[in-house]
Amino acid sequence: MIECPCCGRKHRPGTLFCTECGVYLPTGGPLGTEPIPERDLPAARAHAWGADADRETAEQLNAVLRIKVLSSDRQIQLPSGEDVRVGRLDAAHGIFPDIDLTPDGGLEGGVSRRHCKIYEEDGDYFVEDLGSANGTFLDGERLTPYLPHVLEDGDKLQLGRVELEVAIQR
Amino acid sequence: MVFDAEKDYYAILGVSSFATPQEIKRAYHKLARRYHPDSREAQTPTRLFHQIQEAYSVLSDPAGRNAYDRQRDELGRGDETAMAWQVLLSRKTLYSKHEEQVFYALLEIGPAVALGDERIPLDLSVVIDRSTSMKGARIENVKEAARQIVDQLHDEDKLALVTFNDRAEVVMSGRVGSTRAQAKAKITALRSEGGTELLQGIRFGLAEIGAYPGQDVVNHLILLTDGRTYGDDRACLAAADRAGKRGIGISTMGIGEDWNDDLLDEIASRSGGTSAYIASPSQVRTLLEKRIRSLGSVFATGLNLTVRSAAGVRVESAFQTSPSLERLHLSDGMTRLGALEIDAPRKVLLEIVVERRSPGEHRLLQVELTADVPGLDLKSERLKRDIWCTFTEEEVSPREVKVPPAILNALSRTTLYRMQEQAWSALEEGQVDRATSQLEMVATRLLDLGEERLARAALLEAEHITKRGNPTAEGRKRIKYGTRSLDTGRKAYD
Repeated sequence: MIECPCCGRKHRPGTLFCTECGVYLPTGGPLGTEPIPERDLPAARAHAWGADADRETAEQLNAVLRIKVLSSDRQIQLPSGEDVRVGRLDAAHGIFPDIDLTPDGGLEGGVSRRHCKIYEEDGDYFVEDLGSANGTFLDGERLTPYLPHVLEDGDKLQLGRVELEVAIQR
Repeated sequence: MVFDAEKDYYAILGVSSFATPQEIKRAYHKLARRYHPDSREAQTPTRLFHQIQEAYSVLSDPAGRNAYDRQRDELGRGDETAMAWQVLLSRKTLYSKHEEQVFYALLEIGPAVALGDERIPLDLSVVIDRSTSMKGARIENVKEAARQIVDQLHDEDKLALVTFNDRAEVVMSGRVGSTRAQAKAKITALRSEGGTELLQGIRFGLAEIGAYPGQDVVNHLILLTDGRTYGDDRACLAAADRAGKRGIGISTMGIGEDWNDDLLDEIASRSGGTSAYIASPSQVRTLLEKRIRSLGSVFATGLNLTVRSAAGVRVESAFQTSPSLERLHLSDGMTRLGALEIDAPRKVLLEIVVERRSPGEHRLLQVELTADVPGLDLKSERLKRDIWCTFTEEEVSPREVKVPPAILNALSRTTLYRMQEQAWSALEEGQVDRATSQLEMVATRLLDLGEERLARAALLEAEHITKRGNPTAEGRKRIKYGTRSLDTGRKAYD
């Protein structure tokens, strides 16, 4: 028999969720995101929001965005027309991100369960940090949580310690 | 071991494919005595006797039987059918030394071929409660919704309108094309008075279905009520069972707080229909319209799922997790799933308990699905699949098992539903403390999912129970039907 780490109820081996308190048994609850020591993160500079405000936004519909995870070399093409959530899968809490970075070392790399979202608007792609524990960095700059920023071809994104490369084909 | 997988050795011996070695031996001895060439009874050629011997020699040898089962299963998979399915397992390798262990299987069932644009005609009974309690907004909204249904239905559909209070009455019945105006006038004239006798309404409604035999139709009964019925619960369930056997699904819709949710759920579940909670009368229209629309996109009808298990294997619980969450009741391993819609794949989650097994491959379950596909003129289409697992002497840590996300998703939803079920049953047993703590845990999980309103409802309910010792009828239904319609896939973020 296995014991629920949360409420102590006994279950048969192989059971995945505690029916008493709802905890995901193999991990004993939500996987916490450990804070990474400050020195391990890229230096955070104040981000000048609005510097790109005057850039042209036109005619660039049907752009395709691909993301490459540098650590694992995994390439992901984003579905167009909807918000894409990037984070770490946590079944116990019903968190199923569109891009799950667990297989790319997301947990050790300090990726939050809800880390950031990427979406398209009028032909431009945006990234928005969702108040993640270890931050989203765009070309070395830490993004202000919940403030969207335009993504360009060749941009380097960093979620906690996990590095991603952005490719936009127009 | 030489065998021919095309031959059904089990059928030759007249035993189930999960028969124990003893049963196989007994069946063989009985047949061998009867058909032995030396026996006086034997009138048949010796070929039959050889068949029996061949069957026994394969099935009596564990390794031979295993290999034969494997190949039979592979053969069965090649079958071309109008439906397709996928069977996912939470793990394929089990530890041979556990006394008992659990694994999960998720069946995803959908159409395998496209149908033409033609929609299968409906043979529909709408049964409306017109007891006194329906007076006012409720009956007016139901009438409005019913008139809308009449417009929404196609000319070739058949509609029967049945009302009931202390007694039932068939208000109108016939092809929609020729009775539209009449039907709407009759609906407008409905008045509410009297009590609630559910059984009469259901009986009259069922009697109206199937009046035009020999045609492929989707049979369905929609029941709208706001009250409790007294003393005829069992008879209502029996009627639902009979309806299910005749291929008539019953969808139940409860308005307000006073109806018996356990009864209406059970009626729907036994007949292969769905049940819904209508909190405010204005929702009647949208819900009814949706129901009719989905009935119009039916691909297969009379979907039945049968689960056969080997000795020492049992299905602990079964849930339908899509299109809506429903607890399934297996009787003799069989459950009715009703109609399969084109755009709404059916998902069924089985929780399976397995007793200790020797290392090696074992066939644990056989799942079989049958259905009619009226649009293709197919009757009793059949899908069959064996579920095998490997038992090893090395234990794999649960953390290292890659569980398919679809199973996790389905499980996290059913878990939440079961947690609130337990709260209500604890309350019925008078365990107030346990019920409130259980509801608080439901609220915590709901908050994790971002379902703040539902979480608040659960907390309010917990508080009410602490103070008064009983739940509010409204809260109980809100939480029950709320947790059932959760879609944790995306909503988690919203």
